[in-house]
Amino acid sequence: MPITITRRRLLAGSVATLALPAFARAQGAVKPRLTAISQWSAGSDGAAITALGKKFEEKGGVWQHSPVPGFTTEMMNKLRAQIMAGDPPACSQLKGPEIAAWSKIAPTVDLDAVVAAAGYEKVVAPDLAKLHKPGGKWIALPLQIYSTNMLFLSKRAMDKAKADKIPVTWADFNDLAEKMKAGGVPYPIANGGTRPDDGQKFEAALAGISPLAYRAAIMNLEKKALEGAEIKAAFAQVRKIADWMDPNVGAQHFSTNLKRFVDGDMGMMIMGGWAQGVLRNAGFKFEDFTIAPGPCDNGKPVFLLNADAFIFWQRKEADLQAGQTLMAQLVMDPAIQTMYSQITGSIPVRTDVDLSGEGWSDGQRTTAKALKDAIAGNQAVLSMAHNMAQENGMTAAMIDVITEYVKNKTIKPEQAATRLAEAVEGAR
Amino acid sequence: MRERSFAPSRIFIYLAVALIAAAWLAPLAVVVLNSLRTNEEIAQGSMIGWPQHLAWSNYAAAWSGFCVAETCAGIRPYMLNSALVTIPATIFSTLLGAIAGYAVSLWRFRGDNWIYGIVTLGLFLPQQMRLLPWTIVLRDIGLINTLAGLVLIHTIQGLSFTTLFCRNYYVAIPHELIRAARIDGAGFFRIFWRIILPLSGPILIVTVIWQFTHIWNEFLYGVTFTTGQQQPVTAALIALSAAVADIPQHGVQSAAVIIAALPTLLIYLLGGKYFVRGLTAGAVK
Repeated sequence: MPITITRRRLLAGSVATLALPAFARAQGAVKPRLTAISQWSAGSDGAAITALGKKFEEKGGVWQHSPVPGFTTEMMNKLRAQIMAGDPPACSQLKGPEIAAWSKIAPTVDLDAVVAAAGYEKVVAPDLAKLHKPGGKWIALPLQIYSTNMLFLSKRAMDKAKADKIPVTWADFNDLAEKMKAGGVPYPIANGGTRPDDGQKFEAALAGISPLAYRAAIMNLEKKALEGAEIKAAFAQVRKIADWMDPNVGAQHFSTNLKRFVDGDMGMMIMGGWAQGVLRNAGFKFEDFTIAPGPCDNGKPVFLLNADAFIFWQRKEADLQAGQTLMAQLVMDPAIQTMYSQITGSIPVRTDVDLSGEGWSDGQRTTAKALKDAIAGNQAVLSMAHNMAQENGMTAAMIDVITEYVKNKTIKPEQAATRLAEAVEGAR
Repeated sequence: MRERSFAPSRIFIYLAVALIAAAWLAPLAVVVLNSLRTNEEIAQGSMIGWPQHLAWSNYAAAWSGFCVAETCAGIRPYMLNSALVTIPATIFSTLLGAIAGYAVSLWRFRGDNWIYGIVTLGLFLPQQMRLLPWTIVLRDIGLINTLAGLVLIHTIQGLSFTTLFCRNYYVAIPHELIRAARIDGAGFFRIFWRIILPLSGPILIVTVIWQFTHIWNEFLYGVTFTTGQQQPVTAALIALSAAVADIPQHGVQSAAVIIAALPTLLIYLLGGKYFVRGLTAGAVK
């Protein structure tokens, strides 16, 4: 009995001692501190998050960022390890449906009050907002947007085709590709050979043929839509695209062929908005290419959303909590979103940011306008190829079918549609 | 003699070997060439090509200039981290493996084969399976995000291989040697230090090369259990390549890869002939 008391006293004593510094901080001015992990380490991504950290420090915070590059897998391993160790970062990069999935593993921070104070919900695309409040409450905040179906047109290839009209529908697009081919462009479609690259061609085709079918089939996985005529039509369009691509590209990054694109040996590129940053940093000029929204048969822009975001994990420490609030405020701040997007070449999540001023490119303005119009026409949908529409396992199952179809030209569009439906069924 | 060396079959063999060597060396050649080209040159031309002028600045940037997010120190600090993990972990795992191999091969006891079997089972466990157990262990002993934690992981996981190597080598040592020593009054460790270890040269070189290469090149644990300034060089290398909105830094990346590969390359160049000799030593007996 006496031992127990001593132990208890000892415990109480040590707890009090441990809590004292935190208590003292809570009493006085707490210096906001943020532990963050992201995969942004190099290039303009690294520069953008470094700039965000500077702003955080300017506001009196302590910025502790650990980049865990190597794309998703390594960062997820790290996040899992930290959560298991009971030491999750105050916030970490996470995107798409993975936000909902991971929010079941560890408690997240309810951001509703901060979001309401910033008036953020009104200016975010509805489908995007939904992803970041899986249980009805905001637990994550999108940071920047890219569209995955922008159409890049090579000036020199356009000259060879003697064309100057930007294609709006898939029929226009196919027409232009034929003209390019006839005009001596060996490969009217520029391509890399990676899985997301193939996935983007399919999602651009389907969303451009019918945004409604895209939403039903790819986002909601409705069986009827998955077996629908639009899917077959999309595969048929992808086959045309594949016939215009260089088959000898292998599993290369799209940037490997940028020179061929600019030189006019490859004509059009369906790629995310990030490609303009890559083109610029590779030393090419904006006069070398034109950017437009991807083709859409109903003539209105269709926008495939790809958004990076931060999820916030619950911490008990007062300084980390203060840091989370500060970070949330910063991420939603129009000035910060402007700064961030101007560094990376993305567009701000907030649709009320004015892009007419200096520091924005025409490509970014086009993209932002496409997003606004797409939201107005209910044609802003989530990218499958970049893990926004489905969780990673489901996405992988779908891309397997698509990528095989792109490479193996003996597969008929009807067969591919059946395979896609089967793959979805299998991955459910 | 001259006739033999010019026999058609000989020429064919040399040709085949040269072709295979060229195929194997081609990627390395591309990396070496790209390490001397500027990014613009690569982007404006092709991935494969001669440098127009030698861009040694890639090596300077890779060694001490490039930025991983907020820190701009190149791979130098991470090379040091890798050395601080690899050297002790290689020594510990080799030594412990030698002792364990010696125990299960020459110091027979009940269940020795079982223990040996269980230890070598570790070879068949995929790395990913071990991530969570290690997370819990490192958390409980407070070694998360430390180089010491990585040393512990690599020492323990290396035991499966080092025990296997040493045991297979020691099995060939005559038991009479041990028996004679025991009659003379030598104990377990005295026999190990005085008799076994001096006989172990070839196999120790094999295990050291093997362990050093594996630990130096290991990536998953390094990236998962350490952050920021604690990361080994493999994790830092990935940091250099992960840019979405930017042209890949092929020139600097290539230079960094070459620098990071130098220690293992040196180990192989210096110890390569012993490697094969050591591995086959047991087999020939």
